Amino acid sequence: MQVSLSWLSTHLDLGSHSTAQLSDLLTFAGIEVEGIEERGLATDKVVVARIDSFEPHPNADKLSVCQVDDGSGALRQIVCGAKNFKAGDKVPLALPGALLPGGFEIKEGKLRGVVSGGMMCSPKELGLGEDTGGLWILDAGLEIGRSLAEIVGSDTVFDLEITPNRSDLLSHLGLARELAALTGLPLKGARDHAASATAIREATADEVRLEAPEDCPFYTARRIRGVKVGPSPDWLKARLESVGLRPINNIVDITNFVLLEMGQPLHAFDLAKLDGGIVVRRAAEGETLRTLDEAERTLVAEDLVIADAKRPVAVAGVMGGLETGVTESTTDLLLEAAYFTPQVVRRGARRLGLSSDSSYRFERGVDPLQVRGASDLAVQLILTLAGGKADEELRVAGAAPALTGEVELEEARALRLLGMPALTIDEAHAILEKLGLEKTAAGHGKSCWRVPGYRLDLQRGVDLVEEVARVVGLDRVPAKFAAVMAQGDATDRQYDHGMQLRQALAARGLQEAQTLRLIAANQLDAGLGAGDPVATAAALKNPLSEDHTHLRPSLVPGLLATAALNIRQGAQRLRFFEAGRVFLKMPNGQVREEERLALLLSGPATGESWHEKQQRAVDAFDLRGLVEALPGVAALELRRQNDSDAFLLRHELRAGNRVLGWIAQVHPARSRTLDARHPVYVAELLLSALRQGAGGPAKFEDLPRFPSVTRDVAFELPLDLPNARVEAFFAGLKEPLLAGAALFDVFVDATGAKIAADRKSTAWTLTYRAADRTLETSEVDAVHARIVAALEKSLPASLRR
Amino acid sequence: MLSELDSLKTEALAALGALHDEASLEAFRIDYLGKKGRLTALSARMREVPPEQKKDVGAKLNEVREAITSGLEVHLGALQAAKDAASVAGVDLTLPGRPADRGSLHPLTQIRDLAVRTLRRMGFTLADGPEIETEWHCFDALNTPADHPARNESDTFYLPDGRLLRTHTSSVQIRTLETVKELPVRIIAPGAAYRRDEIDATHLSVFNQIEALYVDHDVSLADLKGTLEFFFREVFGPKTAVRFRPHFFPFTEPSFEIDVKLEAKGREDRWIEIAGCGMVDPAVFASVSKTRGDLLFDPETVTGFAFGMGLDRLAMILHGITDIRHLIDNDSRFLRQFA
Repeated sequence: MQVSLSWLSTHLDLGSHSTAQLSDLLTFAGIEVEGIEERGLATDKVVVARIDSFEPHPNADKLSVCQVDDGSGALRQIVCGAKNFKAGDKVPLALPGALLPGGFEIKEGKLRGVVSGGMMCSPKELGLGEDTGGLWILDAGLEIGRSLAEIVGSDTVFDLEITPNRSDLLSHLGLARELAALTGLPLKGARDHAASATAIREATADEVRLEAPEDCPFYTARRIRGVKVGPSPDWLKARLESVGLRPINNIVDITNFVLLEMGQPLHAFDLAKLDGGIVVRRAAEGETLRTLDEAERTLVAEDLVIADAKRPVAVAGVMGGLETGVTESTTDLLLEAAYFTPQVVRRGARRLGLSSDSSYRFERGVDPLQVRGASDLAVQLILTLAGGKADEELRVAGAAPALTGEVELEEARALRLLGMPALTIDEAHAILEKLGLEKTAAGHGKSCWRVPGYRLDLQRGVDLVEEVARVVGLDRVPAKFAAVMAQGDATDRQYDHGMQLRQALAARGLQEAQTLRLIAANQLDAGLGAGDPVATAAALKNPLSEDHTHLRPSLVPGLLATAALNIRQGAQRLRFFEAGRVFLKMPNGQVREEERLALLLSGPATGESWHEKQQRAVDAFDLRGLVEALPGVAALELRRQNDSDAFLLRHELRAGNRVLGWIAQVHPARSRTLDARHPVYVAELLLSALRQGAGGPAKFEDLPRFPSVTRDVAFELPLDLPNARVEAFFAGLKEPLLAGAALFDVFVDATGAKIAADRKSTAWTLTYRAADRTLETSEVDAVHARIVAALEKSLPASLRR
Repeated sequence: MLSELDSLKTEALAALGALHDEASLEAFRIDYLGKKGRLTALSARMREVPPEQKKDVGAKLNEVREAITSGLEVHLGALQAAKDAASVAGVDLTLPGRPADRGSLHPLTQIRDLAVRTLRRMGFTLADGPEIETEWHCFDALNTPADHPARNESDTFYLPDGRLLRTHTSSVQIRTLETVKELPVRIIAPGAAYRRDEIDATHLSVFNQIEALYVDHDVSLADLKGTLEFFFREVFGPKTAVRFRPHFFPFTEPSFEIDVKLEAKGREDRWIEIAGCGMVDPAVFASVSKTRGDLLFDPETVTGFAFGMGLDRLAMILHGITDIRHLIDNDSRFLRQFA
């Protein structure tokens, strides 16, 4: 909200406070100062001067040498470049020492060899308007030598952000009240307009009928006949313009002035255009109204309208109708001052997509007790500025609801919450009194406070405590610090586990990505394969853009997008991981949130350097190795899953009976769309499954005290026999002396020259050891022979000897 | 015999001087000191030496053996030393090293962990809650009016079933208060939150926050102030100036916004808004008590403070990141800067 300092000054004298002080005062009272604009002339060294005579500059075609009367008694010589003046014109003259906008200081000097004792100015040079093509020709009646600053007036306009609870600050009087409380300065007039001198009369049903008292419990109308609509006087125009409003005509300007002065929106109807009395009612479904902004509005049954006997003439609290608005030809008025509830106005404004100064205030809450005072103020201004004669009595329908009342302050509790030992209860009371609250009772550690009608936010004891804290400020609160023993739970361990994994992967040279949790529908298909993933992704009801329509059911689409972005930047070597939440739509419609970890590898296995000319590209085994090395993984089992249009080589990853996740190569067709030059591998793991594998402290195993003996065995297998079968064979052996079996070679020959093309040769090292003795060769030979025999029996293996 | 030994010694040492490789030194050793070597042959003649000379000849023999052996060792040593030196000849360690992979944690992870570690030192533990929330947990229980604009579909993402994507991590306050068994409650909740904002240089539709809540008997504004001042000094440095501006949030009363003073060389100090905080509004305790059906959080007896801040913003301020979209683009060149 724009607030004019000059306007505020009509309510209290702020002359002793600098702009910066006021800004601080407001800021620390919880009113954010978003901008400060100084208007007018800051210097008094610009005066009204009269151009006595002028002649061409002897050395410059475009300049004139003027003799100017600045009121000092002697003529002053000024060199000037403008052409839009004649002798006798009055113009602003900046004297030496004047500081003009932009930090430009006027000095006495010579221009092309001719002395010039100042500068005659355009409005723009003075920061007072747009360029008008030359000097500012002033009103001929102005006194020569008078400071221009006095004539144009100056003002400081604050752009304030008022928090939604403080509707009472949405007016100049409201802010003046607040500043009076904060500074202790006296208000020049009344705190509010709760008092009204105008007699009231209950409106007849023909005059005003309230059909929706729950949304409009109080409505007043006053007729003024014989007004003359015309431009507002300069002072009123200046007030409105100072806070960014365009003057329209005296009547509309007055209603706007009252709104900005005291926060009560009003509306003036052209009485002649109203057909019968006022009805405040719900709109009929489909009724239309052309509002003042000339838009045709179609109304629905929940809208609250002001209507005459025939039709809606205003959307209550939001905007008036065009047809019944005040125009140049209006002579009779009906002035509405009413209270509409925040709910109804907010709903109406939102539904119509229409926010006005009026709806903004009603939505936040106006003071019903000042409705009559606002009407009085407006009528008084109308009679003064537009003439006419007002009804003796104000027609009222309903009653102003009491929205504030008495609030009890429990003193001990208040002081405890504030944690300010140095604050006394007397000081707290003094603050509340300064804010306009009235103590109605006190004693037994409690006090009772009557809250003024405009402080709608003060409903409970804690609201009063808040006021005290706000005014005292946190500077006076001592900083207290007491640590508390904290017992961690599963969430803590989950966090630590997540960090442990992240650090392990970063230490292995992967970069952590964090991608947006919202993804596009096409990312689901492209990233995860058509079909099931779309069904398991939760769609937003109201997405903002096509790029973010679903909650991600997997981290992989995000990592693929990351890969694509980095490929576009010229990167080939991609090593990324992301740990974060995914969202899975369950068959019952519920959405499960789950923490996952995904990895993506592609491109050269090592960084580019002068050491290696030829770099190996990573393959699926690099990724598998990374996964196997993660804490909590140990023995990994892979189960082949079906290829899809998104992935090849997809395998489920298991450890024991835990499903950890899956690993795959991104389908080459998809990789090509990413412009990846190398195969892209991804894996996705469930953090909860990884965490289960990382339970408890490690258990120490005694180190072997006796040497081990190794024997190698090489055998041929069908090419398509998974290695897992061989591993399972060795793992299943019940030979206590066999300490381990390790694969050390796999050999295939597609040409069939060295080994049949449908066969592979594998070689394993078997390690034998006893815990209590050094093994005899004969013992090892016997076990080894048994194992080899079993191998040939259990697997389609033929030994290579 | 003595003179023979002397001349053998002279000859051997002279020969040694001309030898420069291991093989010839080995040949030399065999030639002089080997089983059939020349010195061995001479010492075999010890038997022929008259008894009165045996002592002198024996001493000479030892002297010559000693001289040849040590001469050989010195030579071998020098040769090894030369080889060792040659083994690193031409190595220019000013050449770049083999690149060790430098992985990195995302700056948001780092800032979140900094905040978590700091707050854990102060006795806060972690809490969590769903990101898909009910209107109750995100708004109602947090004392947000039924027609508050934040609930609008233009501001908040909804799912078709009426649930929403939480607009702040404050919903974890409610989740925690609904389930804990005893006082004090002292939790932090880092997590994602969502707002229906167009993504631009300063806005993301999904962003990161950290929330803190402390509830007990007699928690006061002084606790809030002490905790936050400590926190920001830990994060921004011990001299960091922090100020509290009164503000309004539906779920705290009184409420404050917190500014931290940023000092940068060659620039005027700036106050940067960084967090919101306040004393838990009794209405929040009342809502929670209604759900719980007990009096653990009776608004008449407990008080608490809560604060929340945007981690994205914190990261941008700490690292001087000028466009928030860097945080979601994951450009490797960006991520590398935080290794």
